[in-house]
Amino acid sequence: MQPVVLLISLILMALLSTIFLLAARASRGPGPGPKANAKRTGLIWALTILGVIVSVGSLRSWPHALASTSDALEVNVSGGQWWWDIDTTEIPLGKPVNFNVTTEDVTHGMGIYDRDLTLLTQVQAIPGYTTQITYTFTEPGSYQVLCMEFCGVAHHDMVNEFEVVVVEE
Amino acid sequence: MSIAIEPGAGAPAATAPQAGAIKVTMILSGAVFTLMMVFGLIMRAAQGQWIELDPALFYQILTAHGAGMVGTAALSGAAILWYFSGRHVVLTAGIFWAFLCLFLLGVVLILGAIFIGGFGGAWTFLFPLPALSGGAWEAGAAAAFMLGYVAIGVGFLLYYLELGRQIHARYGSLVRALGWNLILGREDDNPPPPTIVAAAAVTIFNSIGIILGAAVLIASLVHLLVPGFEVNALLAKNLIYFFGHVFINASIYMAVTAVYEILPEYTGRPWKSNRVFALAWNAVLIFVMAVYWHHLLQDVVMPPWMLVVGQLVSYFSGIPLIAVTAFSTFLYVRGSKMTWDLTSSLLVLSVAGWSVGSIPASIDGMISVNKVMHNTMWVPGHFHTYLLLGEVAMAFGFMAWLVRGKTISEMGTLDRAAFGTYLAGAAGFVTVFLFSGAASIPRRWAVHYEEWLTHDRIGTVFSVLVVLATLVFVVRFVTRLGRNED
Repeated sequence: MQPVVLLISLILMALLSTIFLLAARASRGPGPGPKANAKRTGLIWALTILGVIVSVGSLRSWPHALASTSDALEVNVSGGQWWWDIDTTEIPLGKPVNFNVTTEDVTHGMGIYDRDLTLLTQVQAIPGYTTQITYTFTEPGSYQVLCMEFCGVAHHDMVNEFEVVVVEE
Repeated sequence: MSIAIEPGAGAPAATAPQAGAIKVTMILSGAVFTLMMVFGLIMRAAQGQWIELDPALFYQILTAHGAGMVGTAALSGAAILWYFSGRHVVLTAGIFWAFLCLFLLGVVLILGAIFIGGFGGAWTFLFPLPALSGGAWEAGAAAAFMLGYVAIGVGFLLYYLELGRQIHARYGSLVRALGWNLILGREDDNPPPPTIVAAAAVTIFNSIGIILGAAVLIASLVHLLVPGFEVNALLAKNLIYFFGHVFINASIYMAVTAVYEILPEYTGRPWKSNRVFALAWNAVLIFVMAVYWHHLLQDVVMPPWMLVVGQLVSYFSGIPLIAVTAFSTFLYVRGSKMTWDLTSSLLVLSVAGWSVGSIPASIDGMISVNKVMHNTMWVPGHFHTYLLLGEVAMAFGFMAWLVRGKTISEMGTLDRAAFGTYLAGAAGFVTVFLFSGAASIPRRWAVHYEEWLTHDRIGTVFSVLVVLATLVFVVRFVTRLGRNED
């Protein structure tokens, strides 16, 4: 997803930057025409309609939806300064996994990275709460858990790993 | 091409006695901006393994950089708003000096907490991290840091009390100052100018933000003294991010008054309040307080409707910015035959940077995107865009205007070089952050993996350009302060 997000962002940012550049150059040209305010109204409507479409499209299925407990493997992850404890070292490929995440001290962020160091999903670990996310692994191999919320002097050392393995039915 | 005009023509006498206080504030702001940028450069160079930095010191510098940049953005924004509000209402100079003294007291406490006490809990002081350092700092250092925030917050509340009081005295009520007569189509022989509409809105939302910030600061301080005193960590996080989000946004909304008040000198078209402008500012008043939930999109125990509001408002709060502020800037500039000196170039750049920065911010505000972008380098990527190319550019544009004199001339060679260097450096710097975010590099990591070093090193080079251009802007400002107006 990240390359697509980057590409869309850079295109939109470049487009708006170009409009500003053209506007600055237009200081030497003629003044704004009588339809300027109608254009503004049109812009507001266009942005509103785009927002509604994007919002509905991106929220139709709830991004934090959990797999039902009967289908999913439950994995408990606990964090503390500066360690992760994962109660399962081998996770089956293709099966939904519900991660139940807790912390023993401060707020941490559990980020799951693949072998290419791409962030796949994350959730915050909040003192006094159990937070849950579901993820289904589609590639076997080693995965890392990195801390995504600043938690003190060894924040960058708060790393652990697990394996995703092919399980014969 | 050059034209002669009287800066601040038509300003009441109330402005003049406070120009000194404002100039002192802008000297301080320029100096601290420069120092904090050097801190940023050091961190990028350390992440790129060009210099060695102990992680404990890295996180102390990170804390100083965050608190220092947010504080200085707010300080410079407050100075700009005070200066231009003084054109429309009579403000008490003593209040500004008290505000400045409390701010400096806060700075001393914060710097002492960090560089003497070793506090490195980040500017966001996320509960209960200040009390649980793992041996890196003592409770006293955390307390000094938070007392520094309290001092600054008290100063800002004094500032807004005076601003709100004088706006009320001049315009009858904050509701009228927010432009409700314009919105409702009522007769108003004394409609609030854009600066006053902005001042009224910021006074309301930043006062609320600071009061809620004070609540969580006091709770955290009590927790330091009495560890058995429990605070709900999720509630504390909500309060911290409400305060933090509102406070940093207020700095931009205060500084934008420089655009409203200065740009008309160049375009010859006064920036006036109208119905759309008032509606936009009233929307901002609500949006800026409702949007902070986008900082908690991965706190999945939050009520889902709050996360949905966080996503929706992240997007829709961009509409007043792009369709009103940015679009109005296009209209004011178009065909104006304006002269492009350092002031006008920086101010138009600031509206562009602010608007462009809202794009990656809004996209990160989508829950599904946030799952893979939250707390990666994407986040400093977008906030540096609308701060470095937005608020800070507004502050530097205001500083250039303060020492411009009566004649407006096209940029000289040095100004052109500094502006170009700043634009290239800042644009490159933030773009590298966005690429790093897309590469999943986590933010706030003192030590980076080999795979990430290229990003860090390119970012370091761009940050050198930003520091060099900033040095020119600040030294230029200070050296011209003593000159007689031409």
